[in-house]
Amino acid sequence: MTSRAELFRALAFLCESPGSASLGLGATLGLSGEPEEHEHTEAFLFQLYPYASVYVGSEGMLGGEARDRVAGFWRALGLRPPAEPDHLAALLALYAGLIDRELDEPDEARRALRRQSRKALLWEHLLSWVPVFADRFRVVATPFYAGWADLLLDALIDEARTVGRQETLPLHLRTAPELLSPSEAPRSFLSGLLAPVRSGMILTRSDLSRAARDLDLGLRVGERRFVLESFLAQDADSTLAWLTREACRSAERHASYASELGGISLFWRERAEAAAALLSEGLSTGGAEVVDVTRRAG
Amino acid sequence: MTERSLDDLARRVSAARAEVEARGETFYPGPSRINLAAFPPKERWDNWVELDSRSFPKRIEKRYMLVPTTCFNCESACGLLAYIDKETLQVRKFEGNPEHPGSRGRNCAKGPATLNQVTDPDRILYPLRRTGARGEGKWVKVDWDEALDELAARIRKAITEDRHNEVMYHVGRPGEDGFTERVLATWGVDGHNSHTNVCSSGARAGYHFWTGIDRPSPDHANAKVIYLISSHLEAGHYFNPHAQRVMEAKQAGAKLIVLDVRLSNTATHADHWLSPYPGSEAAINLAIANHLIQNDLYDREFVRRWWNWKEYLASEHPELEERFEVFEPLLKELYKEFTFEFAAAESGVEVETLADVAAIVATAGTRLSTHNWRSAAAGNLGGWQVSRTLFLLSALLGAIATPGGTYPNAWNKFVPKPIYSPPHPLTWNELTWPLEYPLALNELSFLLPHFLREGRGKLDVYFTRAHNPVWTNPDGFSWIESLTDLDKVGLHVALTPTWNETAYFADYILPMGHSSERHDVHSYEQYDGQWIGFRQPVLKVARERLGESVADTREVNPGEVWEENQFWIELSWRIDPDGVLGIRRYYESEKSPGTKLSVDEYYGWMFENSVPGLPEKASAEGLSPLEYMRRYGAFEISKGVGRVHEQQVSPDELTGTAESRFGRVFATSVKPPSCNVVPQATPEPDQFGRRAVGVRIDGEVLRGFPTPSGRLEFFSTTLASWGWREHALPGYIRSHIHPAALSPQQMPLISTFRLPIQIHTRSANAKWLDEIAHSNPLWMHPVDAARFEIGSSDLVRVSTEIGHFVVKVWITEGIRPGVVACSHHMGRWKLTDQGQRQMMATVDLDNTDGRWGMKRRSGVEPYESADADTKRIWWTDVGVHQNLTFPVHPDPISGQHCWHQAVSVSKAEPGDSYGDIFVDTTKAHQVYLRWMELTRNALAVSPDQTRRPYWLMRPLKPAIEAFRLPKVRA
Repeated sequence: MTSRAELFRALAFLCESPGSASLGLGATLGLSGEPEEHEHTEAFLFQLYPYASVYVGSEGMLGGEARDRVAGFWRALGLRPPAEPDHLAALLALYAGLIDRELDEPDEARRALRRQSRKALLWEHLLSWVPVFADRFRVVATPFYAGWADLLLDALIDEARTVGRQETLPLHLRTAPELLSPSEAPRSFLSGLLAPVRSGMILTRSDLSRAARDLDLGLRVGERRFVLESFLAQDADSTLAWLTREACRSAERHASYASELGGISLFWRERAEAAAALLSEGLSTGGAEVVDVTRRAG
Repeated sequence: MTERSLDDLARRVSAARAEVEARGETFYPGPSRINLAAFPPKERWDNWVELDSRSFPKRIEKRYMLVPTTCFNCESACGLLAYIDKETLQVRKFEGNPEHPGSRGRNCAKGPATLNQVTDPDRILYPLRRTGARGEGKWVKVDWDEALDELAARIRKAITEDRHNEVMYHVGRPGEDGFTERVLATWGVDGHNSHTNVCSSGARAGYHFWTGIDRPSPDHANAKVIYLISSHLEAGHYFNPHAQRVMEAKQAGAKLIVLDVRLSNTATHADHWLSPYPGSEAAINLAIANHLIQNDLYDREFVRRWWNWKEYLASEHPELEERFEVFEPLLKELYKEFTFEFAAAESGVEVETLADVAAIVATAGTRLSTHNWRSAAAGNLGGWQVSRTLFLLSALLGAIATPGGTYPNAWNKFVPKPIYSPPHPLTWNELTWPLEYPLALNELSFLLPHFLREGRGKLDVYFTRAHNPVWTNPDGFSWIESLTDLDKVGLHVALTPTWNETAYFADYILPMGHSSERHDVHSYEQYDGQWIGFRQPVLKVARERLGESVADTREVNPGEVWEENQFWIELSWRIDPDGVLGIRRYYESEKSPGTKLSVDEYYGWMFENSVPGLPEKASAEGLSPLEYMRRYGAFEISKGVGRVHEQQVSPDELTGTAESRFGRVFATSVKPPSCNVVPQATPEPDQFGRRAVGVRIDGEVLRGFPTPSGRLEFFSTTLASWGWREHALPGYIRSHIHPAALSPQQMPLISTFRLPIQIHTRSANAKWLDEIAHSNPLWMHPVDAARFEIGSSDLVRVSTEIGHFVVKVWITEGIRPGVVACSHHMGRWKLTDQGQRQMMATVDLDNTDGRWGMKRRSGVEPYESADADTKRIWWTDVGVHQNLTFPVHPDPISGQHCWHQAVSVSKAEPGDSYGDIFVDTTKAHQVYLRWMELTRNALAVSPDQTRRPYWLMRPLKPAIEAFRLPKVRA
């Protein structure tokens, strides 16, 4: 069987800012077009940040407990965590290294242990969020990077088949807090919507631009929460309805990976459906109320 | 995407990577998260761009040429990359060389600090000649020709007047493999004097008696259990290359056992840290060995095949049958006294802990890596038995030259044969190899002042090089007494880039380059493989890449700093300008006869002819072998050398064979030529002159070990036949600081430990290092502090047999109660303004009939210099020079100076000041005489009328004729 290590290393390399070596690598992988620096910046720095903690962290932000958990995994392997242990490139390169370590191990018992490490990394720290990330990424990115995201998704799902199903839900997801309703926790509702692991959906800057276009709203420049608040202030009902549709669409996308990802797919789908339900609830009680509550909590 | 097409993609990437790397390029250029070792890819070394940190926040690009060299700050010889500013052609920084197989791009703090040494405002830039009395501190700048001519004339006169033994070269850190030894051989002098007997000769002896090779090469990375007797991770040979491999093994689940009296950095990384009473380490080793033996946990087949147990039986039990089944019960009997209880009583370590550690060692199988180099082997009377008993553990488990085991170093080292190989000298120098020490592996260097005092000889020309015996050796005031006596030392030449305490007492100081200013080739055992590293003057290489020609390193070095290779060639040429003495021929160009050999030709020839695989590798990149080494700085010759002793001897070598009773096979065949001239023992031929080619094991003739028996010498026939039969087996010798040898007021002082960020004399005035470490307080356990009623930072007086020093106390639980410790890396001093002003106190010396005193006038302080940082010096302390107060303690067998001291510690007395030293050199000589009484003179014990067993390794080994005992004395 061919080692997939080099494929993952190449995919990791292409997450990084492109250089001359990326051109050849892209061609080797059959990706269309050439990676441009501005495309990379737009995709990885402005739209979808390639860090596990952004997607599985309770606040949807870099760092925190989610990153600590990933760092703990590096330590458990006896490795010193790099400066950004949860960066996708670092995780994919680590995964490639674990494949190598497994295949290089002559002793059967130790090889089985190494397989277990590989499987744990795959399910706990990659499949727990990368499919959700990549599924959005291929929509947002330019052809070269969309192709990269397709390939990444294919490769990871194929790995899931290779190493076998993990029955337990990844710890990141098991410990993830739910999205609370605006009436219960107005302070965290809007930020919860922007935390993927709570809301089950990823709202990028380009999604919000699209919402402005779809709803004919003014797009004020600022962080995503500020933009969302300004939408609600301009037209709360339409905004909530748009968010509900986004949540429902996310739930459908998550459901499409049910056969490959099992419980992970179900988790993300249920989170998106719960968000849709809460948003619908808000809509039924009058969108303006949601706006007032969130503003007062502000 | 289908599984098959994913596999295809994976294959395509792998193939692309292999193709790119085959061209010598980097597939995933760093720095990035993919290449965790983020180094500049080598194809960009000619034009590497970085942002200038000093211009921040402006983004100003700096363009560098990256040129490799090798660090010279310890024996590890890690690879460095010099970042040479392409605009100014100055070195801006040093980082690791990722192409170096040993260090793999990683360095300790001392590597990058090479920059401090290169730009040191206090370094010596021109040749200096003394104008006042020796030691008075008056110097005049001279040109190189004047110095060379005087030196050449004196040496030539000594040689022609048959005073060969009056020429001596005394080296600290060689940093090269044999160049200077060969220079001395071309002069026909037995004038090599190393520092090794104040360093590692104890450990070497223990390894050598077993294997015929004097160093271990543990394969830490693949070990299951690692057993270290030392603070090896931070300060041992070869600590950086080894430490990274030890940590790799730990990450893979290996257990680390550390024996260290102190809680060193190494001990903090251990799974089991044992803090034994110093000197008891061999007892612990033997208790573990006994556990393996009594419980039949050893590798019987390995022991049966490879130990010389038959010789043991024949010698010690001639009445018994020479069968392994007879030997095994005797083995149990021999070691049964070394119980855990015995070891616990000697070491103070609990029985349960010893049993736990023994149980772990027993699980290692052939993946036990062990190491001892200085530490206990260098501290104690009989310290050589520490390494001998440590090796016993490896030999019991068959963990010799196995993955994760311990190799004899000669198998993991490659010394390329040079263009010329001069013959062995015909002389024997008793100032370095006295008759009292027939089994010493190295020169009795630290006894030189006493030998001179006794009138055993005198020196006409004495070179010190990267060595500072006044400061480093014990009994430094006796050294000063010798060096200031012109009748004992006619001319003292210090080859040094920096001021040191010995150079003050020189007649000439000749400045030699730091690691980026000189050529050397070296190879060290750091894993199961062989590599060579190339130290080179990086500015010469940079200018040559730009199309210039640089014939002499003085053209590119600061001031008139030179390099030793060229210096020795020039000096030798001047000693024998007409070739009459037969010296000049070794320094003539082969390409252009009659002209001088250049350094380029010397190394070009070596890399072309003596390094297997290098010409092919270079050719694949369109380079000559020399160009390849200039570009990458290192080359790996082989990896996975494996069990050389198990290799079958080729039938071609088995002509005219004869076999000894114990299976040693001799043959008349000529030794096959080898381009690896790595030092190892040379087993003696049989009575008919047939050379030892192998050993018969279970019917096959195998290569074996370079010992007289060809096997591992559990029973040393050499020790037995040269007067030390009682120590012929791995055993336990009670140290001179054993509790039974101490008075109630005394306690052991551990004086041997290094600080990870300093290195003897050479790192001083490396400002980054000095700022980190500049003090050496006395480590003392709170229990002892309470006993002496001493508080933190109090001054104490530490009294030895010959004097005392005054030092501050550091109260810490990181030391065994009842033991004190003080690092020897501190206490540098100067008498005048000349010196290293960042790390030398200014002192006054007082001498009244051998009663010496040292008083500190001032510590360090800020000063104006070309480096603005010297105005920012904030520390004043530089530590205390404790070695001055130590008498010599030569081990009667190995010759190793036994560093540990029995001292009494008391509160400082009225009038005592920090750094005060007092020593009586008359008492020092009396201690010397007492230890000499322990020796057994070759005249009395030699079994064959020779000075020393010929087979033993020896630096600059003389011709066999010189081994005969002097007739007049016999």
